[in-house]
Amino acid sequence: MAHYRVQQWSTFARTWWLFDARWQCPWISARTIIPYLQGTKKPIYHPLSDTGDHVIVINTRLIAMKNERWITFKHIHDSRYRPKGVIEKRAWQIHAEEPTKIFEKAVYYSMDKNLLRRNLMARLHLFPDESVPEDLLKNVSDCIRQPMLAPKRLDEYTEEDRRNFPKLFDWPKDFVLDDGFRTKKQIEFQEP
Amino acid sequence: MSGRAIPSDFVKSVLQNGAGRYVCQLQRLTFKFCKSSGGSRGTRDYIEKHLIDFSRENPGTAVYIQPRRHHTARVVAEFLNGNTVVKNINCLNPDDIMKWLEHLRTRSGIEIVRLRKSQHTDSPSIQGVWTPWTNKDSSMNISDYTDKKLLEMKRDELTATEKLLELAKNLREKDMKKTT
Amino acid sequence: MVFLTFIRSALNQGPDKYWRIQQQLRFSWHFYGRKRNCYKIGMRYVFKALRYGVSGRKDKLKNMRELWYRRINAGSEEHGLEGKMFLEGLARSEIQLDRKILSSLAIYEPRTFKSLCEVSKNTLKEHNLPFHEKHINSRQNLLKDLINNEKSVEI
Repeated sequence: MAHYRVQQWSTFARTWWLFDARWQCPWISARTIIPYLQGTKKPIYHPLSDTGDHVIVINTRLIAMKNERWITFKHIHDSRYRPKGVIEKRAWQIHAEEPTKIFEKAVYYSMDKNLLRRNLMARLHLFPDESVPEDLLKNVSDCIRQPMLAPKRLDEYTEEDRRNFPKLFDWPKDFVLDDGFRTKKQIEFQEP
Repeated sequence: MSGRAIPSDFVKSVLQNGAGRYVCQLQRLTFKFCKSSGGSRGTRDYIEKHLIDFSRENPGTAVYIQPRRHHTARVVAEFLNGNTVVKNINCLNPDDIMKWLEHLRTRSGIEIVRLRKSQHTDSPSIQGVWTPWTNKDSSMNISDYTDKKLLEMKRDELTATEKLLELAKNLREKDMKKTT
Repeated sequence: MVFLTFIRSALNQGPDKYWRIQQQLRFSWHFYGRKRNCYKIGMRYVFKALRYGVSGRKDKLKNMRELWYRRINAGSEEHGLEGKMFLEGLARSEIQLDRKILSSLAIYEPRTFKSLCEVSKNTLKEHNLPFHEKHINSRQNLLKDLINNEKSVEI
């Protein structure tokens, strides 16, 4: 039956999704993207059949991390060469060198650890900003929503808004604003 | 027993035989038996008493009789799809032979194998198989996906800052009314 | 006079042994090495394989059940309903379709599945049960929201 073949093409067709990583945590957004890459969002899903989709991620340069994550989080690469085989890099260092690297690693690590992982990663297209090649953007037929709410920066508010922003209470005069968090180096620097 | 050891297949029928009219798939029967040995005595009895009735009832099947000296008695059945089935009928009564012939007559000629499922259809879907576009809105054909509205997070409730701003706005309006 | 009967009875251990070996060879045809052809060596492996077969039958059902649920979940999420709540709604509206049938309906009869989703949604609303639509990425919900908020829909 000739039309069965065409039917199969349409059911197993890959769709292309667009995802905006602006102001998003890479780990949480990885969790939203992975079902699309694996194809678990389709009712025809089967672990042995190849049902995954393509995902284009834009603005990976503008991802966000909470608290001190940019400083504390580090990727470790060990080449097993003992004198200087271990390479430790902080998240901000990696992000400065390669703005797509942290997002890629976040998706790669939170996937199921099996042989399919490399093939699924090949369908993830990462771009540091909004400039995507046209031949890729032509394929896009739907978009994935952001899992987190993008906050509004202070300079995005107008002066009127800033002036009219309600002030709930005043700090007492003898109150010291301090979050109490200090690294060892900071303490040493302050109290030599 | 490992599942791969046994041949398996889905349920089949020859061109939906019997849905309209029925065509007997058994084309040819060949009896091979010995004229003297005791093993083929039942076969000889069957041929004498019942075979002519059988061939009269089933004019579609050709029946051949081949006496073979000192051989075991057997029936070779040939079907319309080209398959042949050899059935050993040595040391069988005429009644038992009759039952086996009835079995061969009603068979479709397809090999008897393990069935993977008890039901099978050539057209599994009437409404059309699911595709990525079956449940999607047609307006997405002409929408721009770099649009912020589509990419932003969807939320049901207002954030705390937004609620606060709204409260402040209402209070301010009340104050304005009081002053005026 | 030669007495062969005693010797023959000693030699002949009955047809049982032959058939037992044949049976085991049928079990071990796909093994590697001498356990494939030797009776005594292959015995332990065949028993172990049969024991695996018993546990495998349970595991197969478990895996299939998981797969069916995943498929149902994926199908119902397209209509703005989680799989768990979809099944809850169907149970409350006394529709006794099992997961296997529902998953095959989601693939082969998508319109029927859609109407089943609507039925379960209505029953959930009657029972005042929440079904979270906000986690679900579907364009139709977005369009509804835009219209409800009275914003201009740019199409």
